[in-house]
Amino acid sequence: MADFPWLTTIILFPIAASLLIPVLPDKDGKTVRWYSLIVGLIDFALIVYVFSSRYDFDNPELQLVESYSWIPQLDLNWSVGVDGISMPLVILTGFITTLAILAAWPVTLKPRLFYFLILAMYGGQIAVFAVQDMLLFFLVWELELVPVYFLLSIWGGKKRQYAATKFILYTAGGSLFILIAALMMGFYGDTVTFDMRSLAVKDYALNFQLWVYAGFLIAYAVKLPIFPLHTWLPDAHGEATAPVHMLLAGILLKMGGYALIRMNAQMLPDAHAYFAPALVILGVVNIIYAALTSFAQRNLKRKIAYSSISHMGFVLIGIASFTDLGLSGAVLQMVSHGLIGASLFFLVGATYDRTHTLMLDEMGGVGQKMQKIFAMFTTCSMASLALPGMSGFVAELMVFVGFSNSDAYNPTFKLIVVFLMAVGVILTPIYLLSMLREIFYGAENKELTSHEVLADAEPREVFIIACLLVPIIGIGLYPKMLTQVYDATTLQLTERLRDSVPTLVQREVPTVSFRAPEIGVR
Amino acid sequence: MEAIYQYAWLFHVLPLLGAMLVGLGLISLSQLTNRLRQNHAGGCVSRLGAAMFLSCALLWSQIQGHAPYTHTLEWAAAGSFHLNMGYTIDHLTALMLVIVTTVAFLVMVYTDGYMAHDSGYVRFYAYLSLFSSSMLGLVVSPNLVQVYIFWELVGMCSYLLVGFWYDRKAAADACQKAFVVNRVGDFGLLLGILGLYWATGSFEFDIMGLRLQELVQSGSLSNFFAVVLAILVFLGPVAKSAQFPLHVWLPDAMEGPTPISALIHAATMVAAGVFLIARMYPVFEGVPSAMNVIAFTGAFTAFLGATIAITQNDIKKGLAYSTISQLGYMVMAMGVGAYSAGLFHLMTHAYFKAMLFLGSGSVIHGMESVVGHDPSLAQDMRMMGGLRKYMPITAITFLIGCLAISGIPPFAGFWSKDEILANAFAANPVFWAVGYLTAGITAFYMFRMYFSTFEGNFRGNETEIRHKLKSEVEAVAAGYATPAFGPGAMDTRELAATGHGHDAYGHSKYPHESAWTMVLPLVALAVPSVLIGLVGTPYANYFEEFIHPPSETLTEVVEKIAEFNQTEFLIMAGSSVGISLIGITLAALMYLQGKINPAAIAAKINPLYELSLNKWYFDDIYDAVFVKGLRRLARQVMEVDFRVVDGAVNLTGFFTLVSGEGLKYLENGRAQFYALIVFGAVLCLVIVFGVT
Repeated sequence: MADFPWLTTIILFPIAASLLIPVLPDKDGKTVRWYSLIVGLIDFALIVYVFSSRYDFDNPELQLVESYSWIPQLDLNWSVGVDGISMPLVILTGFITTLAILAAWPVTLKPRLFYFLILAMYGGQIAVFAVQDMLLFFLVWELELVPVYFLLSIWGGKKRQYAATKFILYTAGGSLFILIAALMMGFYGDTVTFDMRSLAVKDYALNFQLWVYAGFLIAYAVKLPIFPLHTWLPDAHGEATAPVHMLLAGILLKMGGYALIRMNAQMLPDAHAYFAPALVILGVVNIIYAALTSFAQRNLKRKIAYSSISHMGFVLIGIASFTDLGLSGAVLQMVSHGLIGASLFFLVGATYDRTHTLMLDEMGGVGQKMQKIFAMFTTCSMASLALPGMSGFVAELMVFVGFSNSDAYNPTFKLIVVFLMAVGVILTPIYLLSMLREIFYGAENKELTSHEVLADAEPREVFIIACLLVPIIGIGLYPKMLTQVYDATTLQLTERLRDSVPTLVQREVPTVSFRAPEIGVR
Repeated sequence: MEAIYQYAWLFHVLPLLGAMLVGLGLISLSQLTNRLRQNHAGGCVSRLGAAMFLSCALLWSQIQGHAPYTHTLEWAAAGSFHLNMGYTIDHLTALMLVIVTTVAFLVMVYTDGYMAHDSGYVRFYAYLSLFSSSMLGLVVSPNLVQVYIFWELVGMCSYLLVGFWYDRKAAADACQKAFVVNRVGDFGLLLGILGLYWATGSFEFDIMGLRLQELVQSGSLSNFFAVVLAILVFLGPVAKSAQFPLHVWLPDAMEGPTPISALIHAATMVAAGVFLIARMYPVFEGVPSAMNVIAFTGAFTAFLGATIAITQNDIKKGLAYSTISQLGYMVMAMGVGAYSAGLFHLMTHAYFKAMLFLGSGSVIHGMESVVGHDPSLAQDMRMMGGLRKYMPITAITFLIGCLAISGIPPFAGFWSKDEILANAFAANPVFWAVGYLTAGITAFYMFRMYFSTFEGNFRGNETEIRHKLKSEVEAVAAGYATPAFGPGAMDTRELAATGHGHDAYGHSKYPHESAWTMVLPLVALAVPSVLIGLVGTPYANYFEEFIHPPSETLTEVVEKIAEFNQTEFLIMAGSSVGISLIGITLAALMYLQGKINPAAIAAKINPLYELSLNKWYFDDIYDAVFVKGLRRLARQVMEVDFRVVDGAVNLTGFFTLVSGEGLKYLENGRAQFYALIVFGAVLCLVIVFGVT
């Protein structure tokens, strides 16, 4: 059983299962959703089983590796494997996607197609985190866009066509850079290879690294997203239905962060040393710019969408911190935001199902009839504004401490960045709490209650949020539980990254080392 | 004895367990949970009672001389970074534990009466338990990160409790304001923690202080930077303990139900700031400039709070400003180095202020039976008067509280306030002068409150005053001069619609004494309000022997106490009692006998009167500068995002689509050709780079 292709099974099982959906006997659309839910649960159980029994947490290297030659002429291999960075994200994918299927219970429009796409996406998303071949990575990255495009353009809101087109143009345009960069790396030097591990040990010229790094950065900046390539996100998130929303915020954004660590940091460490200050600045811009925009938004979904962008800024800063703690915090922030973002978006969807409006001006006093939703929304907002005892706080604190103790930057630069990050900490409660106030607090909006029935949460909805809150609070109360799972890998990666920062290796001037771009010092 | 230390985590977990139990019950079986009202309340109260006994046992054991006890467990780790969480029990902790649990216990008992008819009765107990748990976690923290964690958690509980009546607009605004203002303080605290960790590599209080001093002395860290770090940390207490300039949230927080005003916003949470200064004493002591900043902030706040309290008509707001003023005393004491005096005042203040607030709650409860559930009427002292006849126990306990806060011997406040003033005089006469003046003002406004509430004739049935108050409310609500802060700005029409104010007018003609569950805690709190000060008399200061700065040894303290000078004490004490008596006399002349007309004085010094009535215009300034400024900025950023960033993208997309060139290749099946170009370009690049 040792050689059983576990990861391949995990990836292909939902895809294979999705192919059966068209032929399932299904009269009123109920069989399909139960079928999908069971497939999702089986796959999630499989993930948990495989990682708990066959994955060694102390080993920083890739594990559960499988490699099969696919198209030898193109040197295309089906090779998969996980390490500490991808493993938590694979679990997250299984968890969130299964919950999204449960969240999609009320979908009645073309259920077969809907669940087919969701299951196809299930496999595609895990593949993105697991594949270890650059060309294959590009392929699955592209493939996973297709279901999202359809899910947006068929089940979305009023401007769904616009949003879906924007999404596909943006991400497909971005992924072109992945292809170019991958090809460049593959053909570089004497040997032609697309295996990520081989690529990582190739010795690239610095100039070359910088170009490739920039290419990857553009692609992943679209996905994460990083300012100024973020504008597809509010549109896509603003139009998506709740389950799609959960996937977009919970998993798709994490692909950008994951790929940044996997490719930019791991494979191109020398270029990373040059780009890191830019990443930090972009991260700070993300945090503050998106928080301010979110505060001004009157549309609930767009508000939360911008809050996602804001939170992703911490991931960027963590990646660029050159400390174990910062990188560990970045990974934790991705997992944590996956859970919190999914829960918030689900609740926004649940609120919309009742109020049938997303405009804050048309709500108000909703809390009196929807007390459970009110309570859950408050809890999840608290998680999002990094309340201690919940996962977001731990992640942000780790990034804060990690970055402020990083020796790769000069103190002035660090001071300014930490200060601005902390300003973000003030802004987050402002937009989240005023959102809560406008939706739930105050007197009931008579105009709204006159034509909408504001029913409280049903058990299914409470169950979904409870499922999301258990890990959120669990990680918050005892973060070591999760961090020790991937610590070995982040530690090894940080070592490698620190080796490539010239000043850190030579240790000539310990105080002022890394020249920060002028914009940060001014 | 060792066993109680090993199981000391229980007092933290017990209330939390209760909160979770009730919370889960409310979400899953809300009807059943709400029906089991008193069962849940009983559970919460008894769990907290158990915690109270445990705390008392710990205090006793600490008084007997048990060594401090610390128990930690690794909480977070990454590489070489390790962070432990746990609990530590020493003298300061034991004292705080007893203060928190006793007040919380009595408040919980009181709540049963106060919230008896509220539909959120069970939810309220859940929040109270959650708060007690967080507060206990805060005081046992062994390091600064854990302090920060629970610091935020008590802030969240405060948010939930201030916004408890979430259908009231004023409460909704107030709870958000409380949270955000506290976040501003936490922002400083967080930066301070990060900076201190960066400089010293530790989160432990003693080690931080020690290393910081070493660093400053060896010159590897500039003194200026150390001062900045200390002040940043101090920003946390500034927000939490409602010090200038972040005091604005506390008066608004009075929108919450009165029991929590007593527990959170008078006795425990707001005192957490003073507690943190005490905990961080190893750091602050080494930075004299920061200590000066602390002392000045405290002194100014003490004066500011007192001047505003003079003109407040809302009984709870008056008490709130008095709390701000008293917290200013404590912070000032900390700043001038009077460590144990500050904490002594924290303790005495916790008891008498909790009693005053619970007393005001009892008054409001009584008034509601006359004027209905309308805070703008039930809390306004212009509607009260003569209540002593109807609620004698409340009146007596309130009077004890007033005497205690005014510093009349032998009540508790006298001893602690006098000790602060003596220490302030030794440090800098300016602080003493401010404190001395404030003491007089305090006596005046407290007795103004007492006389206009409990003495004279009952005014609750005078429709003329009622209409006047109503029209004031409506003027504010209509004009939106200030965005509905405080109960004075309630929109009453909203209230009538939501069920809280089902009867605009009450059902009886006169108020009545409150239920025993409410009266009992008042009486219980009256005991420490009278007697607790005796543990810290200057000639036999047991308190200071028990609580002294970490840098001083017991023998030093004992020597200091032995130096007690009878004459000096009598002069100091005599003068401060004197000014308090002057204040009380003035209040009596104005509000009891009516010999002096306060309205005439107010008219004569109108600018000053307006300044005080409008709270020194802090709310208006902050609203104009920060709230509106931030809104404007945010809107501008959104415009930029929409028009510039997104606009550029859409423009590009538009041109591509119009020309159609972008898609033509794909449609005409020339994709291979396209791919070839990309491929070729890549090859060229690789070759170019490979060669160079």
